[in-house]
Amino acid sequence: MNLRISIFACLILLTTISCQRNSTESAEGLIKIVATTGMVADAAQAIGGEYVVVESLMGPGVDPHLYKATHGDLKLLRNADVILYNGLHLEGKMAEVFEKMAQLPDKVIHPVAEFIPKAALKVVDPNGPTYDPHIWFDVVLWAAVYKEIGDLLSHSYPEHADYFKANVEGKQAELTVLDGWVQQEINSIPEAQRILITAHDAFEYFGAAYGIQVKGLQGISTLSEAGLRDVKELVDLIVDQQIKAVFVESSVPVRDINAVVKGCKEKGHEVAIGGTLFSDAMGEAGTEEGTYEGMVKSNVNTIVNALR
Amino acid sequence: MDAFLIILTGSLVAICAALLGSFLVLRKMSMVGDAISHAVLPGLVVAYLVSGSRASLPMLVGAALVGMLTTFLIELFHKKFKLQSDASIGVTFTFLFALGVIMVSAFTGKIDLDQDCVLHGEIAYVPLDILVTGTVLDHLPYTVWVLLAATIIVVGFVYIGFKGLKITTFDETYAASLGISTAFWHYALMSMVSLTTVVSFEAVGAILVVAFFIIPAASAYLLTDQLKKMLFLACGFGVLSAVLGYYLAATINGSIAGSMATVAGCLFVITFLFSPKQGLLKRKKPLSTKA
Repeated sequence: MNLRISIFACLILLTTISCQRNSTESAEGLIKIVATTGMVADAAQAIGGEYVVVESLMGPGVDPHLYKATHGDLKLLRNADVILYNGLHLEGKMAEVFEKMAQLPDKVIHPVAEFIPKAALKVVDPNGPTYDPHIWFDVVLWAAVYKEIGDLLSHSYPEHADYFKANVEGKQAELTVLDGWVQQEINSIPEAQRILITAHDAFEYFGAAYGIQVKGLQGISTLSEAGLRDVKELVDLIVDQQIKAVFVESSVPVRDINAVVKGCKEKGHEVAIGGTLFSDAMGEAGTEEGTYEGMVKSNVNTIVNALR
Repeated sequence: MDAFLIILTGSLVAICAALLGSFLVLRKMSMVGDAISHAVLPGLVVAYLVSGSRASLPMLVGAALVGMLTTFLIELFHKKFKLQSDASIGVTFTFLFALGVIMVSAFTGKIDLDQDCVLHGEIAYVPLDILVTGTVLDHLPYTVWVLLAATIIVVGFVYIGFKGLKITTFDETYAASLGISTAFWHYALMSMVSLTTVVSFEAVGAILVVAFFIIPAASAYLLTDQLKKMLFLACGFGVLSAVLGYYLAATINGSIAGSMATVAGCLFVITFLFSPKQGLLKRKKPLSTKA
């Protein structure tokens, strides 16, 4: 009995070794870019334009902390010419694999957020030090990432350098406009009401850049649990400041924030759920929120409508 | 080559886990793997506080030390305080995990520090995890070397220690009368278990390891009464799960570890239904006529 099973297993193993398939489904001549998050993928597409085909590993609504690789992801990474990831430990252990792969000569692999001067980053723990990876909600900071990707692509594919450069410039002009618009919108909220309460701390850069106080319930990791005192402190803050709304996030469960809403109600203060913010992932591809700028606009509109 | 490497990785984990898991199932300790997966959290926090980094090596060391501590405490509660084995496993890992949660919120609340993000590996990326040393080692991924070493150690341990493990598993009194130390074999087995678990977590993630510790051994247990046969059958079930699981993942473009564990579960159900020893469909009389 055991013999038969082992022979069967060996046979299957052997067939596996002998029938390797080579994938040839790539579009001819295009630079194949694989990005981890939707935000990085969107930036790469904007810069690479007609010369690239971009795939992102983490789809709409996927929490990077909880992302599980599929069989197809390995194939994507294998066939990629360029791999772009956020870095600053957003991708967890996956980044270690990228770091190792980067030692091989045949691929361009780059963490797009790591080049930003450390002085511009938020330190979440001086031990290390460890930095907050959620840099994309400061539009100016994120615009620098477009330039970084442009430089990287120009260096590796100098034949298209002028095209990439033009795209970077066009994009940065657009983002400057977007940055001004975000600031103007946030400024339209009465100053005392400029407090953004969300489920986890993904909006620190946003708050610092546009002058809105940010309170997260959960800490940086979506896995750490909200402490009882955290909930109580938040409830007190909301009641004291008469804050009108709190927000949920597309990639984080709403349970904890519901506890806060309930707590406020018991203290006689009605706080609304202001809407869903995009934090670690963008909206569905093909929709407005499926692009970086659409995501930022959607978040700002949601925040302003609920707090103004 | 990728397919082969992933299946090889899965199979090596399966063999280590199935061999040790068979003894755990017989000793009614099969949840030790799951227990260790939770209990390592305080080890990760301490490793981070000491080293200031979330790199793999300090995490692995922290996890391994707490893994050993876990098995030690389980045995202590079970033997010294006469607690049932399941209760002593439950007490130990919930306590250590809770300790870890408190330490995370007290010391490292603002950073991303949990098993999933700093310890657990991903089997899909094993082929990409290459070594760049310029030696013969470069031909296989780092993970495969580590698991090959672990497999050799585990197979060697079970081969050399077979008699001691067998006697202390089935009849402690008899073992004692022969002068064989049950405590020695228990700690030896548990040390192997915690090392294998932590190394495999780092290589392929938790779910696959926990599943491979229990399910292949349980399936094998349904088919035979003989320990040797059970060990071989468990390895066979484990390897078969790795192979079929890989193709399931390739077909549905799903998580590879999830698919391998699912196949292991399906094989268990099939064994359960058709086993000649105690299979449901082989019984002359149904156990119950109620629906």
